[in-house]
Amino acid sequence: MNTKIETAETKLELEIDGEQVEVRPGATVLEAARELGVEIPVLCHDDRVDPAGCCRMCLVEIEGQRRLQPACTFKASPGMEVKTKTERVARHRRGLLSLYKADHRLDERGRPVSRGVHDKLADHIDTYGTGPELPPVNAPRASRSDENPYIQFDPDACVVCGLCVRYCDEVEAVSAITLFGRGASTTIGTADQRSLLDTSCELCGGCIAVCPTGAMTEKPSLDQPSEQIVRTTCNFCGVGCQLDLHVATVAAPKGPSQTVSQDLGAERSEVVGPQARVSETMKRVVRVTSPEPGTTVNDGNLCVKGRFSYEFIHHEERLTEPLIRGEDGELHPASWADAIARVAEGLHGVKQRYGADALGFVSSSRCTGEENYLMQKLSRAAFGTNNCHQCAAT
Amino acid sequence: MFGAGAMTNSITEIREAELLFVIGSNTTEAHPIIAMEMKRAVRRGAKLIVADPRAIWLSDIADWHMQLKPGTDVALLNAMTHVIISEGLVDEDFIAKHTDGFESVVEATRETTPEWAETITSVPAETIREAARAYATTRKAGIYYTLGVTEHTHGTDNVYCLANLVLMTGHLGVRSAGMNPLRGQNNVQGANDAGASPVFYPGYQRVSDPAARAKFEQAWGVELSPDDGMNLNVMMKAMMRGEVKGMYVMGEDIVLSEPNASNIEQGLNNIEFLVVQDIFVNETIRFADVVLPAACFAEKDGVFTNSDRRVQRVRKAVDAPGQARPDWEILCDVARACGYPMPHYKDAGEVYAEFSGLCGQFAGISHERIDEQGGLQWPCPDAEHPGTVTLHGDGPIKGHAPFQATVYRPSKELPDDEYPLLLSTGRTLYHYNAATQTRRSSGAVARQPENFIEMHRKDARKRGLADGQRVRVVSRRGAVLARVNISPRMRFGCVWMPLHFGDANTNYLTNDAGDPVTQTAEYKVCAVRVETVDDEASAAQ
Repeated sequence: MNTKIETAETKLELEIDGEQVEVRPGATVLEAARELGVEIPVLCHDDRVDPAGCCRMCLVEIEGQRRLQPACTFKASPGMEVKTKTERVARHRRGLLSLYKADHRLDERGRPVSRGVHDKLADHIDTYGTGPELPPVNAPRASRSDENPYIQFDPDACVVCGLCVRYCDEVEAVSAITLFGRGASTTIGTADQRSLLDTSCELCGGCIAVCPTGAMTEKPSLDQPSEQIVRTTCNFCGVGCQLDLHVATVAAPKGPSQTVSQDLGAERSEVVGPQARVSETMKRVVRVTSPEPGTTVNDGNLCVKGRFSYEFIHHEERLTEPLIRGEDGELHPASWADAIARVAEGLHGVKQRYGADALGFVSSSRCTGEENYLMQKLSRAAFGTNNCHQCAAT
Repeated sequence: MFGAGAMTNSITEIREAELLFVIGSNTTEAHPIIAMEMKRAVRRGAKLIVADPRAIWLSDIADWHMQLKPGTDVALLNAMTHVIISEGLVDEDFIAKHTDGFESVVEATRETTPEWAETITSVPAETIREAARAYATTRKAGIYYTLGVTEHTHGTDNVYCLANLVLMTGHLGVRSAGMNPLRGQNNVQGANDAGASPVFYPGYQRVSDPAARAKFEQAWGVELSPDDGMNLNVMMKAMMRGEVKGMYVMGEDIVLSEPNASNIEQGLNNIEFLVVQDIFVNETIRFADVVLPAACFAEKDGVFTNSDRRVQRVRKAVDAPGQARPDWEILCDVARACGYPMPHYKDAGEVYAEFSGLCGQFAGISHERIDEQGGLQWPCPDAEHPGTVTLHGDGPIKGHAPFQATVYRPSKELPDDEYPLLLSTGRTLYHYNAATQTRRSSGAVARQPENFIEMHRKDARKRGLADGQRVRVVSRRGAVLARVNISPRMRFGCVWMPLHFGDANTNYLTNDAGDPVTQTAEYKVCAVRVETVDDEASAAQ
């Protein structure tokens, strides 16, 4: 994607804000500016999709061009002079942000609503300011209720930059969502406004990840800010996607898991209602995101399992105490000391009666490398058998 | 295959490929993020060859879809080989410099014409020709495969055939080319690397090699067994025969995951002692004497090694529930209780250091280094080494890579009058393996709540079945209930079922006949019939 062919003869030189920079032919003004560390604000741009130039946030002055031009689509050329810090550019940004604000859901302080996630529009307003206050647009927009458990869309927090639609087309390549409606009423929809579950959507959640304003958000963690982010590796398939687990302190609910009933939408859970006894809090994983594009093997992408299948971590059916089968044939809770003693006794008994090769140790391709090392060491060093394998004989 | 059991190339190279040959891999569902890279390559103009009995998603954007009959891969691949040799498209330099035994393949594929293969695979001869030519004449042409290639009684032959194609066209040690098995689980690669194998110590050092044994005896301070152990398929069969009497199962649901589930259950009934260590109640726990609650990936530290040999960190984010503990701590306690002086490791990083200190190819990797630099791809022999993106850059690691001639053999159990349909099994996008995790996930449940059987419209019509109807699927080994899913993806005469559902376990049906070399079971081909059931009765069940 951003791999540049580093050969001298293929470079061209241009000037941005008075500084010279060399880029490969075909590079855009935005790429050249990044090379120099010159900040040009964007909303609709992402390196993984073709530039569209539709949000107009990245307009800059280019010598010889009568109008401001979008840096994300305009190709750099030799000797080009670009200016990003002129009053004309600043005025344009303020005016544009006023327009966006007039057509956006605002919070009580008059800022764009943020649904617990990073909001680029609010950032840009903070950085570049707005122009005159404009009357709210209040365009009628088709809204659709969608029983899919993960992806929430708020049309009034959307700037219709179409990045989610382009990601869905170009990266995930399922084209489940589309621009819907005309003019000021344009919004993001699906064919016939069906639920995402009735489209080609694969629930990868890429639309959430690329959305610059939080209009596309996660239902399960709506408005939930995160306190801590832990980088780890996904525990599903063998791609090894890097994940950022967002951890927050939340009330530890008693009784049935709230997540399942809530997400299915059938019976919106009462567990979190006013009657719920908030006796304890606990750290929970509340959201999973990908590291920035271009930094890890998954390049900012995740699939439905990596992004959303984290409910199991805090599921009420997790095993929480050791169990030993008693005389009655049932499994009973036991202490760790008793359970481990029972394991040692049982395995030793088999070895004494039938020899070490009557034991089998099944390790797991789901566990860590260290754990697999220790399992085979247990089998070989503690019991003297090579009967140790794991589930994947591929 | 050429000296290391792993992807020869890296996931990040896929986007630059000029041709992708995807065989026996429903990549969009099983490895969605690798599929995104493939889609990106195709958008950039790469050619795509898909060989799969089902019209999988990728076949929609493929230049050639070879919709072969399940289990006829060897015929198809030998026909491609025939085309490449007879049209003189081989890389003679590479063959001369880096390989042995090319003549045996020339000999074995003299008669395997595309026309012959068409009669066996039902793939049009012209498609085979075009695909073979495209593969042989494109430089950055990579092969990507998964269990659709290996889970057969001729799985090893399939892999040999692919290796032959790679070698004769010199597609090795080249960026975006090579031979790339996509690993199904997060840490298959890491588990193998760590020596969870009956024939290898950590780092692929052979149990049968006295020097390796001496090294580990010295390191661990005990005498070690010189005999190769049993692999899982053999272990399961030994358990059914009553030869294995005690088992310690960590993080696997063997009842749900192994083929011929009713035999496994019978075997588990007979063994004297079973320990299960897991994060959820699973099907195997019904037979356990002791159950040990484990921490999940978000609750512990360690490493996973992905498909392209990249060792990456797993980090603790939250506490494990109740008294559950990380598997590595439990294993240490068990070893000590059993009288073995397992060191008191202060963290998982120390365990990793002990492991990497015993294996040359991992010696340069440590938790500290990954924390600083991100994932590292082995081989990485010392702390200065940057890791290895593409293997075999200077010719095969082994020196000369051998060609292996293969002969087409039909699968062990083919459809007949009594069991007229050919069943393959696999994975879906929304669920994962035994689904202990994803069945507790609302999206997966909304999309795919229960077991289903995909079939061709004509097969359904012939039996008077409607979409969504409940049926009983019966093989020689067992029966399960499923809903009919009439699908344009299927071939006539073939059906497909996912393997994720504990209450309707598809592995009651599958055949545990194994490949003669690897013993990997034939999950991909067995014969079944479909019976209608009274919907009332099944609903009550």
